[in-house]
Formats: sequence, structure tokens, C-alpha cells
Amino acid sequence: MYSTAKNFRTYRTEEYKGGGNTSRGRVNYKSYFHENCGEENVYYKNNGYKSRLSQFQEDDGNTAMSDIQKDLHPRHNLSTTDDNNRKVARDNKDLIHITEWRDGNHQMRNMNKNEPGCKDRTFPMTKNKGPMPKYRTPSKREIEENGQNNIYGNWFKITIPYGRKYTKTWLLNSIQSKCSVHFTPVDFHYVRSQAHFFVKNSTTAFALKNVNYKIHDENNHQVRLFVKESAAPSSEQNKLKPEEIEQLKLAMKKRFDVSQKSLNLQSFRFDQDLMSHDIDMILNRRNCMSATLTVIEENFPELLSLNLCSNKLYQLDGLADIIPKAPQIKILNLSNNELKSLRQLDKIREMKLEELWLQGNPLYNNFSNYSTYMSAILDYFPKLLCLDGKDVTHSMDVETGASEILKPSKKNHGVSEMLKNLVLQFLEQYYSIYDCGDRSRLLDAYHDEACFSLTIPCNPKELVPLSLYKYSKSNRNMKNCKDHVLLTQLLKHTKRDVVDFLRVLPKTQHDLSSFMVDICILTEKMLCFSVNGRFKEVEATCPVILRAFTRIFIVIPASNSRLCIVNDTLTVSNACPKEIQSDVSIPARAPSSIPVPTISQEQQAMVQAFSTQSGMKFNWSLKCLEQNDWNYAVAGQNFTLLKAEGKIPKEAFQQIS
Amino acid sequence: MGVHEAGQRPRMGDKPIWEQIGSSFIQHYYQLFDNDRTQLGAIYIDASCLTWEGQQFQGKAAIVEKLSSLPFQKIQHSITSQDHQPTPDSCILSMVVGQLKADEDPIMGFHQMFLLKNINDAWVCTNDMFRLALHNFG
Repeated sequence: MYSTAKNFRTYRTEEYKGGGNTSRGRVNYKSYFHENCGEENVYYKNNGYKSRLSQFQEDDGNTAMSDIQKDLHPRHNLSTTDDNNRKVARDNKDLIHITEWRDGNHQMRNMNKNEPGCKDRTFPMTKNKGPMPKYRTPSKREIEENGQNNIYGNWFKITIPYGRKYTKTWLLNSIQSKCSVHFTPVDFHYVRSQAHFFVKNSTTAFALKNVNYKIHDENNHQVRLFVKESAAPSSEQNKLKPEEIEQLKLAMKKRFDVSQKSLNLQSFRFDQDLMSHDIDMILNRRNCMSATLTVIEENFPELLSLNLCSNKLYQLDGLADIIPKAPQIKILNLSNNELKSLRQLDKIREMKLEELWLQGNPLYNNFSNYSTYMSAILDYFPKLLCLDGKDVTHSMDVETGASEILKPSKKNHGVSEMLKNLVLQFLEQYYSIYDCGDRSRLLDAYHDEACFSLTIPCNPKELVPLSLYKYSKSNRNMKNCKDHVLLTQLLKHTKRDVVDFLRVLPKTQHDLSSFMVDICILTEKMLCFSVNGRFKEVEATCPVILRAFTRIFIVIPASNSRLCIVNDTLTVSNACPKEIQSDVSIPARAPSSIPVPTISQEQQAMVQAFSTQSGMKFNWSLKCLEQNDWNYAVAGQNFTLLKAEGKIPKEAFQQIS
Repeated sequence: MGVHEAGQRPRMGDKPIWEQIGSSFIQHYYQLFDNDRTQLGAIYIDASCLTWEGQQFQGKAAIVEKLSSLPFQKIQHSITSQDHQPTPDSCILSMVVGQLKADEDPIMGFHQMFLLKNINDAWVCTNDMFRLALHNFG
């Protein structure tokens, strides 16, 4: 019935009233433990003392502590005929209260936070399996009090350093898959880069210890896991009493709208009913949140909308537990809280939200404008329809489509599949116009201020090869650059100039199967990719000439979800004769020649991947896959076999890795 | 030059600035690479990304590690062409085509692209893509 704060106050006054012992200020602790002295033994009943110490252990930044501490006054040395010596010093923000067990005297000593070794102090609780001295058997009353939440019982805290990198589901599932014992994690939360949770008994804890070297993440890094004894987690320790839970249920039922299936817990702490029963529903506290969620689970599992406005929430670890309990929630109001970063949303990202309210949280200031804010949120809740009351328009989706893709994925630094497909699609379209159509259609692909340049490399020994000279017809600048390297270069600016120039270049037929594409993300709005490949010059009056080219594009997302070129550089040279011979000729589009099937985009990607993995050149990888019916696994196996037998010629491999 | 003086692309002397910066960077880069490639760290930053033959490496440390661990002792680069363009966000795109010879291996062609950015008055490389030439001698 009493909140923890009140307990302390009561305790304090009781102390000076309390009977028993001799000198001024001394209290017979015994009376507290064993008798129902004055007020109820509220102190232990609600485990106020232990919770305070354990919270320091928890290190979860729960600031509720300071409220309580302010109430404490200095206490004198208390000694009893028993072994209990406790000294509770003046409360001071810099002091940490710890209990030291010395020579059978249990003394509470105040340690200045800055004292060396302070941080190393492990609370005796961890060593003695419980805060109660082993020199004194707990009273029957205490054992009853603690009952299920057996403080003396074995709780263990599991820590996963760098656990922040992984989602809760993945982490727990991976651990469970390697653990011989089924466990129920309690109070899962993140602190800085670590993830923590608690389990209840030693068999489980031991089994979990053995999981330590067994889990590997997708990058093949080991996921470490440490187990140590601890006091019960805060949600267990401060579990609300049945009467309180009953009151809570009543209060919540009043706030539940059956027709809308919505629950309004706005400013829940100041709920009249709860306050009149002295229940402090501070939702930041794990125990309060946990009790609330239990009530929801039991009474409103069909909940659709939850309003947690103005509850001073600064973390969402506790809320994350709602996902299995009320799986249908679509509307969540977290406005006017204290959420400082979007990382909090990470904890609840499995909720399938359609409507979210976040305004009035400090995290809003992390964004320079509304659209970056919105796209960041969409990252977590892609199905969101309404944010802060504003529609997330679907036409924006198209735009955010391209720009969303450009954001480097959190999971892998590399380039996502979506991005690769986007680029390959772009290249297909670009070259289909470039090869067959009227190149002026390319105007749409270029930005107004686009830049294009053409370079023809040539060896000092030979001048610009005659055959390439037609590229330099419109050339104005023959530069002698540095030493003896002669190069031909032109820079075109504005899309008009660019496309005009492209139109005078010889007609081409690009061999998409020869394309080697490298993609890198420059910024959220800019993408760069390079294409190395071959094409044929197919001017009417001239024989077909095979050229090699390198082209680098820098693109930005455009308004119609397309990519728009801002920089384009092209290098053309003569294709190497060796390659021509071993060429698997697959013309991209050849109306006059014998139709030969081109390889599809997926096949291209497969060859690319095979080439990277096997170290073989593109053509050889292509042959290998073709011979194995495009079955990647079988091709891989056969390749490995042949390689082991030394049957693959050296020239199949790319020489420098 | 067909470049409009849009204010974004200042010229100094007869060579546009991006060409000056680009070409001096290229020269510096290959000199470092050929002589002691462990020193290349200075031109990259922690946000840099190297794509070497399709593999990506993020950050100065990873990049230097990759380059230092390449399996050759001696290396010589010879540039056959280079090209520089300014990008909309005032970075410089540099494209290089050339040939290289590692230890006693045959000469191979290569293509490399650099994206240079001005950070605190120094030009650093934020993106680097390298590919060996398959279709031509370089």
C-alpha cells in the first residue's frame, strides 16, 4: 500500500521512536526484523532497502533512486546484541551506500563515488547469494514475504557485451537454440552497448554459461555471453502487491475504450484513483511497466491503440515486452516523453504500427527537417500510415523508395540487394536507349547541371589509335599532361551539351553480360557506381569493332523514383584480343545477327558472385554456371573438385586479389 | 572548355581547379603506393570506403590493412589516362586507367576511381574503387 518513498520516510521516523536499545539514536534492528514494530515491516516487505542497492548494481540509470535518497537522514552507528551493525550515512548524491560484511559485523559504509576502488566494489549480495547475512537466519516472516520472488533464491544476470547490435528476438532465439535448457528471460534491456537479462535458477544459468562460445552472428563474429549471480531484477523485486495490481486493473479499465479498443494511459502517474491509493505508476520503472503490461495481457489483449503520452518515458525497454502480449496494437502515442534518440524505437520495431505519435520528445531535435525525420521513422516502421497526425503519403513512398534504398543498411555495410537491382535496372534502361534508340531520350536521365567527359587512354608509344580518332572529332583540347602521356579529353556540362555529344558518338551495342559493376554509397542522396565492360561499334559503313570501356556514374534520386545522373565519365579503349577469342559472345540486342539468348539480370548477378567467390574471371564463371544448369551450389562443388584436381587453367583466374 | 562559369567551378590559371587537385592527388597516391603502401592511411578517413575487386572495406584501418596485405612486394603503376570532374557537392571524381606490374607478374591493366573531399582544408579520399582490366590492356 505504500510507495517505496513513503516507506523510507516511515522507516526514518520509526527509527527514532523504535524501541529496544540503549544509546540515543540506536535502534534495535532486531525489532524490525522480528517484530511487527510500529508500522508494519514495510521496509523489508517492499524490499526497499535491497532495491536501492540492487539498483546501483543494475546500473540502468534509473533515476527514481535520487528521489528516495533525498529523504534519508544520517544515522548513527547502530549496534545490537546481534551481529547487525549498520550505519546509514547522510544522504548525499556523491555517496554510494554499500554494505560491507566485516568480521561478522555488517556495516554499511558510505563510500564516496570518487574513491578509488569504489566502482570495483561488488556488492556482497553477489557473493552471499542474497542481501541477508548468512550469519543470521532469515525469519520465517521474511521467507514468507519473499515467497516467489525469492531474493535469496538464485537470480543470475546474463550480459552480452555489444548486445546492442542485435535485435532482442534474434539474440534470445540464438541463445535458446544453443542452450540445453529452456529459459525465460526477465527484464531484457540494453545498457549502452550491452544487452542484459535475468534468469531464475542456477541450472539455467549454468546451461547459459556454456552457450558462451557457441553463437556466431551473420558476420561470423562470436557473440559472448557472461553470467553472474545477482539480486533479483528490479521488476521482480518491486513487484506490485496483489492489492495494488487490483487497483491498477480498475484504474486501467476506466481508461479503456471498448469500442475503439484503445487504452489511454496519458500522464498515468497522476491518475486520481491510483494516487488516492498511493500507487505511483512511474512507467519508467520496470516493475510498473511490467505490471501494466500484465494487466493489458490479461484484460485487454485485443488492444489496438495505446496512449503513453506524458509519462516521462526515456527508454522503451520495458515497453518492448508488450509485443507478445498485445500483438494487434497499431496505434501508439509516445508524444511528450523524454525519448532522446531513435535507438529507443529499435526496441519496439517489431510492432506493426500504422500510426505513431512522437512529437514533444527531445529526439525530434536530432533532425534538420521533417522529411529526414519522417524517413528515419519509416526505417523502423515501414508500414506506417500516419506520423504525428500527418499522413505519410504513398506518393512520397516512391521518392523515399529510391532515397531510402540509398541509406547504408544497418545490418551490412555493403550494398543491399535492392540497391543492386536498382542499379542494374538503371543500366539496362540506359543502355537500351543508348544502343537502339534515339539518344536524345537520355535527356530525362541527366540532371540539368550534369557533367560528362570522355577519355581515351593511349600508350606513349602509339599516338591515339586511328580507329579511336572518331571519338576525338569534336575534340578541342589536346593536352600534354605531365610526362609523355597523351590524352584526349572533353568535359561537357549541362544535360543539353552532354546528350548532344553522346548523340554524335558512334552507334553501339553494349554487352551487358560483360558488365562488372561496383557500387558505393556516397551519401544518403548520392550513389556512385562504375561499370567495366565491352561494347561493339556498329556503324553502318564500318566493320564491327570491339571496344572496352569504363564508365562511372554518380546519380541522385529523382522525383519520379528514378535515378538522375549528375556525373558521367567514360573511358574507351580497344578491347584486348585475347578476351575476344575466349569471348562467350552474347550480344545484348542484335536484330541482324543470329538470336542468341542473353543472360538475365539474376544470372548476371549469379555469375558475378560466382566469379568473386571462385576467383575466376567472369567468362569462366559464366561457362561453369552454364555447364551446371545455373545451379549455383552444384557449380560451386564441381568447381572446387576440378580446382583440387588442378584441372582449371591458370588463365581462368584473376591474378591480383 | 565547355564549362559554364556557374560560380561553382572556379578556374585558376588555365587548368580548372578540380584537375589540379585531382592530378596532384593521383600523383601522390601512386607514388605512395609504389614506394610504401603502408603510408596510405593519411589520405583516407574513418568514413572512407574502398572497393577492391568487388570487396568492400570500410574505414582507414581496414583499408590500410587490405592494401598492406596485398600479396606482392614490388609494385609499379603507370597511368595511361586520368580524368577529373567536379561533383555537385564540391567533391572531385577522379578516374584513372593505367597499367601495373607486381613483382615478376605480367603487366596488367587496371581502372581506379577516387572520390575526393575537402575536409578541413585537406583533400582526402572518401571512396576508392579498384578493378583489374579484363577487357583491355589498360
